[in-house]
Amino acid sequence: MRINFIVNGGSVEIDADPARPLLDVLRVDLSLTGTKQGCDHEGECGACTVLLDGQPVRSCLTPVGKAQGRRVETVEGLAGPDGLHPLQSAFIETGAVQCGYCTPGMLMAAKGLLDRTPAPTHEQVVDALDGNLCRCTGYKKIAEAVDLAARRLRGETAEISRGGEPVGGSELRSDSTPKVTGAAKYVEDMTMPDMLVGRVLRSPHHHARILSLDTQKARGLPGVVAVLTADDVPGALYFEDYSLEEPVLPQVGETVRMVGAPVALVVAETREAAYAALDAIEVGYEPLPHTFDTDEALATGAPRIAGNGNVLTRFELKRGDLTAAFDRADAIVEGEYRLAFLEHSALEREALLGYYDEAGRLTVVGGCHEPFYQQGYIAECLGLPREQVRVIMPPTGGSFGGKQDPWPFLATALMTRHVAAAGHTGTAVMLAYSRQESFAATPKRHPYVVRNRIGATRDGALTAIRVRIDANTGAYDSHGQYIPEYAVTASGGPYRWDAVDAYAQTVYTNGPKAGQYRGFGTAQACFATECALDELCEKLGADPLEFRLRSALREGEASFLGYPVAESLGFAEVLEALRPAYEAMLERSRESRAGHIGRGVGLAAMWYRFGKSGSLRVEAHAELARDGHFIIYCTAADYGQGTNTTMAQMAAEALSIGRERIEVVNADTARAPDSGIQGASRATYFVGGAVTAAARNLAIETLGMAAELLDRAPQTLRFEDERVTAPDGVSIALAEVAAEFDRVGKSRRVRGAFDLSGQFPEATRPTYAPLFVTGAHLAEVEVDLRTGETRVLRMAAAHDVGRAVNRRDAEGQIEGAVLMGVGAALMEEVLPGHTTGFADYYLPTIKSMPQIEVFLVEKAGRYGPMGVKGLGEAAMLPATPAIINAVSRAIGPAGGRRIRTAPATPERILRAVRGEAL
Amino acid sequence: MTQYLYPRTPEEAVAALVEAQGRAIIIAGGTDVLPDMEKGKWRPDRLVDITRIPELGQVEAGGGWVTVGAAVPFAALREHPLIAERVHALADAAASVGARAIQTGATWAGNLVQAMPAADGAVIAVALDAEARILDASGAAWQRVADLYLGPGRSKIDPTGQLLTHIRFPLPSEAWGTAWRRAGRRPSLILPTLNCAATVALREDRIAAATIAMGPVGPCPVRAGDAELFLRGQLPSPEVMAEAAQLALCQAQPRSSALRASREYRMAVLPVLVREALTEAAQRAGCPPQS
Repeated sequence: MRINFIVNGGSVEIDADPARPLLDVLRVDLSLTGTKQGCDHEGECGACTVLLDGQPVRSCLTPVGKAQGRRVETVEGLAGPDGLHPLQSAFIETGAVQCGYCTPGMLMAAKGLLDRTPAPTHEQVVDALDGNLCRCTGYKKIAEAVDLAARRLRGETAEISRGGEPVGGSELRSDSTPKVTGAAKYVEDMTMPDMLVGRVLRSPHHHARILSLDTQKARGLPGVVAVLTADDVPGALYFEDYSLEEPVLPQVGETVRMVGAPVALVVAETREAAYAALDAIEVGYEPLPHTFDTDEALATGAPRIAGNGNVLTRFELKRGDLTAAFDRADAIVEGEYRLAFLEHSALEREALLGYYDEAGRLTVVGGCHEPFYQQGYIAECLGLPREQVRVIMPPTGGSFGGKQDPWPFLATALMTRHVAAAGHTGTAVMLAYSRQESFAATPKRHPYVVRNRIGATRDGALTAIRVRIDANTGAYDSHGQYIPEYAVTASGGPYRWDAVDAYAQTVYTNGPKAGQYRGFGTAQACFATECALDELCEKLGADPLEFRLRSALREGEASFLGYPVAESLGFAEVLEALRPAYEAMLERSRESRAGHIGRGVGLAAMWYRFGKSGSLRVEAHAELARDGHFIIYCTAADYGQGTNTTMAQMAAEALSIGRERIEVVNADTARAPDSGIQGASRATYFVGGAVTAAARNLAIETLGMAAELLDRAPQTLRFEDERVTAPDGVSIALAEVAAEFDRVGKSRRVRGAFDLSGQFPEATRPTYAPLFVTGAHLAEVEVDLRTGETRVLRMAAAHDVGRAVNRRDAEGQIEGAVLMGVGAALMEEVLPGHTTGFADYYLPTIKSMPQIEVFLVEKAGRYGPMGVKGLGEAAMLPATPAIINAVSRAIGPAGGRRIRTAPATPERILRAVRGEAL
Repeated sequence: MTQYLYPRTPEEAVAALVEAQGRAIIIAGGTDVLPDMEKGKWRPDRLVDITRIPELGQVEAGGGWVTVGAAVPFAALREHPLIAERVHALADAAASVGARAIQTGATWAGNLVQAMPAADGAVIAVALDAEARILDASGAAWQRVADLYLGPGRSKIDPTGQLLTHIRFPLPSEAWGTAWRRAGRRPSLILPTLNCAATVALREDRIAAATIAMGPVGPCPVRAGDAELFLRGQLPSPEVMAEAAQLALCQAQPRSSALRASREYRMAVLPVLVREALTEAAQRAGCPPQS
């Protein structure tokens, strides 16, 4: 059917099925890929919001037939000839753009509001943005951006602070503009000629053995290019270190241990052909008994899933005389704490594009944390030398650890290689997950069962902690083997203990595989300890802030691990930073209120070991380009948290130049050096250190060369815009300096390394470097004692960041983590066998946003560049226990029991109010 | 390829359905039709879009009735001055559906045809004693909304042959108030764990009539008839409202859902919502607040 309508002021005529979603027509037929899709055409995410005759609509639920003769506005139409729309600039300036995937929908929802309501109240802003999910920002800066834009549109002058320094102020992000205009190309937005569709056949069983697998019929279907099984994997069939006992694809006779486990791959010319092929693959399954629960998996007679008695790995730590230490305690708390599977829910689903690049390398473009690791896994799986594999990090719509799983990379590489080897004309394969698939098949956060016993003396000194942890790794490992050590380390926290007895194990079940998730293995253990500490405070009648201060680990003191923290320790400063907010919250919570409303204030703290294992030596390069600007080459994958900007800021600081003179080439294995594993909040510290070193080395080389040309002493020279200038005013263009490098045959590209190997005695780092940061959160909540419904009214978060490279981005990390903490505390839970996607996995919307106050404590670090420390994941830890402690305190006066399970759904809270078991 | 029609009158719409002999369905906002087509519930050859029929886009009051056209989206409904000022429960129920960018498309009529037991639009319609005007080849007739349900997700209205053109409900002239309550695992963008609507009409400080509708506590929206009967002639005291809430509970048969809430939780919370809704409705009807 011919359909005419106006898009962004211009008329278009298309020939399309009028029942197709407007979203698909915009993205596919009109190549307007600024409008995003985050759910499966369900209206559950808001990323596809556009304006239809000025009204915000979900374009995924709007048939294009409705657009006939009407006016459609998308993000691409926001900017005018004079530049960005005030909403776009406000989003950039306030730091409302992180990964950028929700941004187009947010912008259009906001425009729909401001076009109708030029001076909206906060409630109207919340109403307009409600239901547009954002996983990065915590919504606070988005609401601020709308308010700022509204004021400017009304003609008010509204400026916001920026700070002048390259490092330490609130510099704007370097890559936000394409994200607010819709120009940024995420993988799903990419097209290549003759692009093929990759799809995955997944097991429908929680646990089954594959008895037969027949792909003959599927291979013969029209439009089907390839059907791949384990037999088609040329190299290693197993992941090796990433995931013990997990095949890339299962062989006949092997078990598949969760719903969604991959069985076969299909490459086809169209989506329809791919689905037909999936339907035509014949698999014989023998269903096996299954369990999702660690207690059941460990019991005698449990179904055999994997590992040794379904145990993957164990870790134990004992120090001091536990019996004596408990004997000294005046109060002891003993409890069992339980947490659920969580899904990262990055707004961009897993999407990868495979092709052969101009140099003939098998190339996979996809969001991840460590392109060089993916390159290595692919090389192993395909039996190729690493040099013949290339991994490129595109703009990525969030990860939070979820995109660390190599499987989608291996699948894409396998399909791409197979298509090329078969001589098919297709040049590229796109593997794009549905949201449902993303829920079923990607790693989740490990549920924990934590059995804790802690004691303290009457005067508030902690004496002993005994902890037993069963971490549920689900069906497969995905680095679950490292979880026990992380769990134990997080359990003790930044506190002095006389004795510790900690044991943790990872247990296989038939739940979804669990893997990296912001705060890998630590947030769950921190939750249990911090809740138990709060219970102990209640028992002793102690103030939670003073109590923690009393036992807070101080600089130079050995921790329960047996050695001191290597970095400067700002824990006491963090707690003190919260004191005024704490007192104000307590004051408010004492105010009179209706009898059915309980109010409570909760505190929780944490330490977080950043930096991870990996290499303690990482590298970055810096180059003086031919035209005189500077290029930084590094690998600090930016999935929305802002490393592209951070690296440029740090290089600018090291070179003493403006950031606009710096280009960053980041996370492309063919262009940038390997800067180590990317996780555990290590980018700013480790890669930033290498970038700083490379930039400094380049400054020395460049100024040295300029000194020869100018005949001046190098130490007197400095960079000034595009030139190098001497104190007497003599100067030379950087392009000329670059030409001189080339003339004498000297490289314009230099290396820089950040190297901590040998810094710490081996004994202080049994497995990992003793780099820790600390932080604490406060929550003020209101509970309806009759229904269990809970609102988090306010949160305050303090973190020792060493030095904030970018204040606004640091705040954004913390605010986003706070909202993730709200979700984990009150709503989010993947129930195996029930949860399918965003319709039944409840993420916080803007209506759940509390008032958030952030305190950046800057106790300069000792080893990292410019005094920085790690932050991104650390911020995830204290939010959930702070909220749960607040809820427990809110219901306590009404006779409620302590909450020991998260998420504390209204139902669980009501049971606690009534003194029933959860 | 699907045919997409914009009839100019309700009669034209019905004719377009009849002509297609079961292969056409009505579409208003499309927010349910599109996902249902994706799931395969409907596989129409023809979509008959009613949103450009002028007479279906109006909210009108007259003769003691409020009449809402089938093409009025929830966003317009909640913002209509008459609804926002006089029928609070309807405005709040409309605001409970999905999110703003869904309310701009989704309609009250569509919500009723969809026939889900917890649909916010259905529960408020049943509380308001709403009627639906059903037009088909044989003519038009008003039917009580409460009578349109065959079971969960099953309506008597056949969108391949019938058009719900209007919804109407009586608007008492004075001393009348309505209220809406909802519980869920998050504040919005979620199907309700429970919802309920109450209306109260007062005469000389006593309750002349009250209605209570609840969901999902049965296969379709449930009226708390015993409680309504009990309330008639009572003074709207807290004790009376609490008693009525307990009576309402006796008529509720909620189910357990792993993803939302157990039956026990729903039973515990329902009386709270009913009592609050009744109390607020009474206040809006002119009863002074009591504690």
